[in-house]
Amino acid sequence: MNERSRFEQTVLPHLDAAYNLARWLTRNDHDAQDVLQDAMLRAFRHFGTLRGDARPWLLAVVRNACFTWLQANRPADVEPLADVPDDSLPGPEAAVARSVDRRLMNEAIAALPVQFREVLVLRELEDLPYRDIARIAGIPIGTVMSRLARARRQLADSLRVVATPRIRVHK
Amino acid sequence: MTHEEAARALPAYVDGELDAAASREVEACLAADSGLRAACERLREMSAAVRAHADYFRAPASLKPAPAPRRRWTFLAPAFAMVALFAFALGVLVSRPGEGEGLGREAVDAHVRASIAGRLIDVASSSQHTVKPWLSARLPFSPAVPDLSHAGFELAGGRLDYLGGEPAAVLVYKRRDHVIDVYVGRGAPLGASSGARDGFNVERFSAAGMRYWVVSDLNRNELTDFVRLLRQTTSGS
Repeated sequence: MNERSRFEQTVLPHLDAAYNLARWLTRNDHDAQDVLQDAMLRAFRHFGTLRGDARPWLLAVVRNACFTWLQANRPADVEPLADVPDDSLPGPEAAVARSVDRRLMNEAIAALPVQFREVLVLRELEDLPYRDIARIAGIPIGTVMSRLARARRQLADSLRVVATPRIRVHK
Repeated sequence: MTHEEAARALPAYVDGELDAAASREVEACLAADSGLRAACERLREMSAAVRAHADYFRAPASLKPAPAPRRRWTFLAPAFAMVALFAFALGVLVSRPGEGEGLGREAVDAHVRASIAGRLIDVASSSQHTVKPWLSARLPFSPAVPDLSHAGFELAGGRLDYLGGEPAAVLVYKRRDHVIDVYVGRGAPLGASSGARDGFNVERFSAAGMRYWVVSDLNRNELTDFVRLLRQTTSGS
C-alpha cells in the first residue's frame, strides 16, 4: 500500500473530528474550512512523525494551525490566560437548567475563552482522555484538569443565568 | 481518602480517569456524603448536557477527497516515500524493547496516574533535608536528593511508588508549572537513554548503583539540562 492511501486510511477517518475542533476554535464555517485545508496539508507533510493513534495526532496539528491563525487574525482571542492555581473545589456549583436548549448551549460554549473551549470540546465532544488533551493543547495534565473545571463552572454559571426568568436578566 | 481529596478527584472520577483503586475510594466517600453525591450529580448533568445539546460540526463534502483515483495530494507522493523510509529506519532504531524500555513505560504510567489522582507528593518540602530522611525511612535504600534550585529547578517534595514491582523513590521537582518526576530505584545499571512516550519526555541513566528515570512534560532542552545537573550531583555521592 502506498503512503497516500495509508494517509487516507489512517488520517482521513478523523476529518470530522478535525473539522469540529477547527469550527469550535474559529467559531465560523468559512474560517474553519480555510484553516483545515492548511492543516491537512501540514498533516500530510508531517505524516512521518505519526506514532500510535492518528486522532490525537491530527487534532494536535489542527489545534496548532487554529492557534496560529487566531494569532494572526484575532489576536485578542488567544491572549494568554492567567492559569491561576485554582484552589476552590472543582466542578460546577450551579445545576444546569432543565430548559437548556441547543442555541443556549452553543452560545455559552462559544463565549468561553478559547483555552477553556478547546479542553471542553476535546473532552465532551471528542471524548478524549486527559492525557491526549494535554498532548493536543501542549499543556500539563494538571492544567487540563483546572481548565476543564473552570470551563464547566463558567458554562454552568452562564447557563443558569440565561435560564432564570428573563425579566431579571435583561433590562 | 478525605472528603477534600474525594471532592478534588471528583471530575477525574466522573471523566473515567481514575484507576480502580482510586475509584473505589471516591465511591466510598460518595456513599457517606450526600453533598459530594450532589456535586457528582451536577458534574454528570453538566457533561451530559454538553454532549446532548452542543453542535458537532461534521466536515463539509468540499473538504473530503474525491473517491476517484485522481486525488489532490498525488503530487506529494515522492516526498512521502522518502519521509516514510526515514520514519521506518528511525522506528527500527528506536523500538528495541528491553527491561529499561518497559520500566520507562511504567514510570510514565505512574506519573500520569499520580497527576490525575492529584497525589504527586506524599511529603511536600523544598528542603532536601526533609525529603531525604522521609524517603530513607520508608525505603530499603537512601536516595540522593540534590538541591538544584540554583539552576531554577525547585524541589517540591517526594513520594513512594513502584517500578517493576520494586519500591522506588520519586523526587518531585518543578520548573514553572511543569512537574519533573525522578524515579530512583536499585538495580543493575542500564545505559543512558532519552526518548518520548505519550507526550512526555523520558530520560534514563544509572549512577552510584541506582537507576534513574526522569519523566516530565517539560521541553526537551530544559529537561536535558536538568538531567545533566542531576547526573553530576548523583554520580559524585
